[in-house]
Amino acid sequence: MDIRSQISMVFHLDKCIGCHTCSIACKNIWTDRKGAEYMWWNNVETKPGTGYPGKWEDQLIYKGGWEKQDNVLSLKGAGKRKGLSNIFHNPNMPVIDDYYEPFTYKYLDLIESPAGDDQPTARPVSLITGDPIDIKMGPNWDDDLSGSPDYARKDPNLANLSPAEQEAMFQLERMAFFYLPRICNHCLNPACVASCPSGAIYKRGEDGIVLINQNECRAWRMCVTGCPYKKSYYNWHSGKSEKCILCYPRIEAGHAPACMHSCVGRIRYLGVILYDADKIEAAALADEANLIDQQLDILQDPFDPEVIESAKQNGVADSTIRAAQFSPVYKFVKKWGMALPLHAEWRTLPMLFYVPPLLPVMASLSEVDNTEQAAKMGDIAKHWDDNWLYDTSTEELWGSIEQARFPLQYMANLFSAGDTEKVKTVIKKLMAVRIYRRWKTVGDISEEKSNETLQQAGLTASTAEDIYYLTSLAKFDDRFVIPAAHREQAIEMLEDTGDKKGSAGFGFKEGTARRGP
Amino acid sequence: MAGYTETKRVSLLGLLVTLLCMIPISPGYAALPGEQNFQQHCGICHTVGSGKLVGPDLAGVNERRSQEWLETFVKSPQAMINSGDAEAVAIFAEFNQLPMPDPLLSAAQIKDVLSYIEDVSETLPNPTAAINPPAFSQPAIDQPIDTSVEIEDQVADVSTQATTEQINHGRDLFQGTVRFANEGPTCNSCHDVRNDAVIGGGILSKELTTVFSRMGGPGVRAILGRPPFPVMQSAYLDRALSEEEIVSLVAFLQYADQEQLNHQPRDYGIGLFSSGLVGTAILFGLCSFIWRGRKKGSVNQAIYDRQVKSISDAEFRARHS
Ligand code: SF4
Ligand code: SF4
Repeated sequence: MDIRSQISMVFHLDKCIGCHTCSIACKNIWTDRKGAEYMWWNNVETKPGTGYPGKWEDQLIYKGGWEKQDNVLSLKGAGKRKGLSNIFHNPNMPVIDDYYEPFTYKYLDLIESPAGDDQPTARPVSLITGDPIDIKMGPNWDDDLSGSPDYARKDPNLANLSPAEQEAMFQLERMAFFYLPRICNHCLNPACVASCPSGAIYKRGEDGIVLINQNECRAWRMCVTGCPYKKSYYNWHSGKSEKCILCYPRIEAGHAPACMHSCVGRIRYLGVILYDADKIEAAALADEANLIDQQLDILQDPFDPEVIESAKQNGVADSTIRAAQFSPVYKFVKKWGMALPLHAEWRTLPMLFYVPPLLPVMASLSEVDNTEQAAKMGDIAKHWDDNWLYDTSTEELWGSIEQARFPLQYMANLFSAGDTEKVKTVIKKLMAVRIYRRWKTVGDISEEKSNETLQQAGLTASTAEDIYYLTSLAKFDDRFVIPAAHREQAIEMLEDTGDKKGSAGFGFKEGTARRGP
Repeated sequence: MAGYTETKRVSLLGLLVTLLCMIPISPGYAALPGEQNFQQHCGICHTVGSGKLVGPDLAGVNERRSQEWLETFVKSPQAMINSGDAEAVAIFAEFNQLPMPDPLLSAAQIKDVLSYIEDVSETLPNPTAAINPPAFSQPAIDQPIDTSVEIEDQVADVSTQATTEQINHGRDLFQGTVRFANEGPTCNSCHDVRNDAVIGGGILSKELTTVFSRMGGPGVRAILGRPPFPVMQSAYLDRALSEEEIVSLVAFLQYADQEQLNHQPRDYGIGLFSSGLVGTAILFGLCSFIWRGRKKGSVNQAIYDRQVKSISDAEFRARHS
């Protein structure tokens, strides 16, 4: 047992309203710079959709992440041999047109143009070349299923769905979507770190944040290929790669990262999780069928005395262990088993977990005969020729899950490495809590039925209350349990603080007449 | 007490002044003012009364030329040759058309050097005896250079004793297969020599096949020991060649000179260039075959191709007029 601590996250997808506030908060703080304009360390994409950069999930194109061959884990597109053979020209990287060419408008032309026959316009200009351009793409061009033949239908997660299932997803009446906000997962087995030939990327020991040392980066861009989530970006101006830093300066000061702090839907949770480093290798090498189980098995119970003992031996501070015990992440992921990693099959052991969305699954469709109804309509009334009934009632307990308009397989491809049973369990829990609360507040569901659903989902009434609290009522300090960074200890390692005592403070910046400079 | 401190200070100051005054009388400063500069800048190629080296013997030069001519010449020999001064051109022609590099001395330093030469000349028993009077009237470029005997004499230790090992070692040094002890750049980065064993030397500087007959053993030796050319000077600054290296190089250059007619290194001409082209083409072909599965262009290209493009202002006007 080798217990370490990691700052880990949960995104509750049912709550995301797709407002992109998080992306803007991040952009304003970190990537509003020359060379970084195209980067979105935090981005929100619509699913189904191809996302940003286009088709990032298709590893046949981008060759990101790990693959297991003969019980050996190797990087798909980088690593010693492959990396070396591609070191001067790495063909698997996204090009700027896979992201989008960043642009702005010449707003000044609107006020400064000389008088003329035509109204002045603000022409779009490229933020890379500065020349006028035709805008071809944005970071969320496929928002809300826009342009779905080009984007949603080309979602790589649809690959193993039958043509009929795919077709059903895009019928007008059935169509559904949800939002997937993404940041760097600060993985436990990060492919970006493993692929860097310069050793510039490292995972911080104290909180597991993955960072790129800007002084060491030599622009090989292997991390851009290596990261299957395409969350490492190359800054063409500075010639260094950059990625989400989980706002570590904010975390060290006890603040939530900017994207989480600003999140309108309050979908984001952040807390410490204790994990057993001895189990990482086995989990990364797990069989397809055990991927999720083994990945979640790394995460340990922060109340277990043995775990605490080992953590202490590794120098994990008491305050961090305590934070782990209050961690919302631990509750969602381990205690309630409601959050799953995104694309566990890439074996980077992501430390960002998602509560899958219930909404696109919940409503069901059934075929009905509408002729009678249609006959009653007048001539000017709009006629619907179809015979579908869109049903959100909860009469059939789990029926809607089985006949969901959103195939469970699609969710499973995203969140449980293709295992539909795993997402189904989670969705049942979400549904059970909803039915339980409906009995409590609306009252149109009987208590027996509510209890029955809870029982079938493996929950108790008090757990359901807890889940409901953390989902819907949680306050800032419930959602973000950030341990003290103990910077004083770090500073003490570097210098003797006693030397500084009495030589700083009031009146030391400028001299005074009496004391002198 | 105050008085005591005062005295102490004064005596300290006195000591300092005394020390300072002593510095100028150190032996280095006792030499003639021009001597140091002569040794450093002129002595490699010239002697005063010991015969020709690379350039003429300077004994009695002050009598043969006007002071003004000497000063202008030493300031910048090349400028003077270019200006067409008959005497300067004649010397240039006589001494293998090897231009004397500008010594970069100030007018005062030049004067000192000249007076140093004059002083030394006077101490010689019979200044003119040691001089080979330069033949200004008859440019001697097409005549065999009349230095062979002296040079052979002086260089006897090199030419007669040059062993095959020395010659081979010299060739290795020239080519850079053996590094100079002080890590100076190898000769063939700038120079070439016609020799079967040497492939394609540099073309930045003089071709050295005939350097031995042009300048003689001592001349080559002198240049290698203390390069008079600015570029070579800075290249070997702090990286001087060792005596043993110089001997080997001279041996090799002499050998190359003597044997030049027997050596016909192959000239690949355009063949080399075109085989390079073909090789590159094959390499590119191979690369595109090995990486044939690579990602080409953007995944969004099909979308971009369909998009409507805006037209230029000129085109707009043409359409709407
Ligand atoms: S998600 Fe982050 S930590 Fe994981 S591989 Fe990508 S860049 Fe590295
Ligand atoms: S701010 Fe929150 S709710 Fe809005 S898009 Fe981002 S994650 Fe979703």
